[in-house]
Amino acid sequence: MPDAIVARALAKRFGRIDALADLTLRVARGECRGFLGPNGAGKSTAVKMLVGLVRPTGGDAEVLGKPVGDRATRARIGYLPELFRYPDWLSAREVLAFHARLLRLEGAPREIDAVLEEVGLRERAGDRVGTFSKGMQQRLGIAVALLGTPEILFLDEPTSALDPVGRSDVRALIERLRARGTTVFLNSHLLGEVERVCDRVCVVDRGRVVAEGTVDALVGESRGVRVQLDDGWHEFDVAPSEIPALVARLVGAGALIHAVEPKHVTLEERFLALVQHA
Amino acid sequence: MNVLLFAGLTLRELMRRRLVAAVAILTLVIAVFTAWGMHRLATAVVDGSPISEPAVRATAAAIVILLAFLFSFVVALGAALVGAPAIGESIANGEILAVLARPVRRTEVVLGRWLGTLTALIVYVAAAGGLELIVVRAMTGYVPPHPLDALAYMAGLAAVVTTAAIALATRVPALAAGIVAVMLFGLAWIGGIVEAIGIALGNERLADAGTLVALAFPSDALWRGALFNLQPAVFTAIAANANGNGNVNPFTVTSPMPNALLAWAVGWIVVVLTAGIVAFRTRDL
Repeated sequence: MPDAIVARALAKRFGRIDALADLTLRVARGECRGFLGPNGAGKSTAVKMLVGLVRPTGGDAEVLGKPVGDRATRARIGYLPELFRYPDWLSAREVLAFHARLLRLEGAPREIDAVLEEVGLRERAGDRVGTFSKGMQQRLGIAVALLGTPEILFLDEPTSALDPVGRSDVRALIERLRARGTTVFLNSHLLGEVERVCDRVCVVDRGRVVAEGTVDALVGESRGVRVQLDDGWHEFDVAPSEIPALVARLVGAGALIHAVEPKHVTLEERFLALVQHA
Repeated sequence: MNVLLFAGLTLRELMRRRLVAAVAILTLVIAVFTAWGMHRLATAVVDGSPISEPAVRATAAAIVILLAFLFSFVVALGAALVGAPAIGESIANGEILAVLARPVRRTEVVLGRWLGTLTALIVYVAAAGGLELIVVRAMTGYVPPHPLDALAYMAGLAAVVTTAAIALATRVPALAAGIVAVMLFGLAWIGGIVEAIGIALGNERLADAGTLVALAFPSDALWRGALFNLQPAVFTAIAANANGNGNVNPFTVTSPMPNALLAWAVGWIVVVLTAGIVAFRTRDL
């Protein structure tokens, strides 16, 4: 079975600006891939190229083993754009019914109910989109993307308009999708979110990939520990494996230990270091 | 199949946004005013005696032409302002992104939006134009020589303007596309007058310039086609007699729209719509 996504030196140039310079990546089936980068890094352009909305000016890419933009393959992908507004005069159910017809879905009413339930919009299914908050529009966008049980889901900033409850719901949804074997390509600058749900991460900055790997590999081994003694907090530069020996040494020296906190480098710290350095 | 889906969406949008209801009410109001005016004309008394029936019909014919002229502007404005947003808004608000990520051809989107808009315009031209003609007939007994042909030409005018608006809106914002389409319609109308003046004065260059404009944007040629079918034979004769071989104003014509020009207009619509499709297919979103 071919990989979910293969991109080789994918590039997009708008006039004199390189929106994306050289994107090379491989996403395996069933993987949840985080795609990180600051604003203007080329994340949305990359996603749009992968779903066939923007034509590359260099390189090539395949999605589910077919060249990007392949019409039949588009029936097997789901896409949540970053910025969108569905027609305010349609109800949520009508928006989904329209997309179901574009997909030639059989058993559409049942599936529409299922995706509405999945995103928590079942109660508002008959209401016009014009009455929806931004967060509800985003939930509807996710429901549209989920129609047709896609094999790969491109989510471009899926939680940007959501409150903490909504974000938690989306995280849970991504977990469920992963469990079903759906490939998820998550474009986000909410690093905590990516850190929690993604298997691997790709960091882009100014149109170029600056780092790629598993979250653990990207963050690297943390070094250092904070120890609270009678006179306050003290920091020690030791590897995680050396922490027990350090504690034993301190106790042996008669120190009273109140707390031990290994230092943890977050993805955010690593990300900032990467993009600031780049 | 998808073409009909997008056409249906366009029609549903026009109905849901209450545009159809608003236009229907306005059309009825105008029909009532027309009925009142035509009734006054038919029952008018001059020097103590009612106006003769031929005089009533001649006056009604002139008023019908004037109404048709104003109607052509309303149709052109409607064609531009309904056509451009039909595709332009879905691009501007990002709705099109999720749609085109489906197994949908961009050609289907443009054709569907065009078909839906054109259907709405044809229904409007037939209903509003037909109602006016029925009212005139009921009040004065006057019926233009070829009313259905006239309405068909008017629908052709709507097709030209809306095709231009939709083709432009695949690349430029809806508002700009609509305004440009209306301006092109206005330019074509001016071109028609320039051509008429050129013919009347025997100035070939002026006439050729006007003809070029008519070829570049055939809305005025179609308006003249409608006009010829609304115009009683006596008007045609008077216009031809008064102006030698030509006419000097947009309210009279001396000959029907040539078949070659009609074929050109149809070809023009096909070419411009195709250009719009190509423009949409090759753009990044």
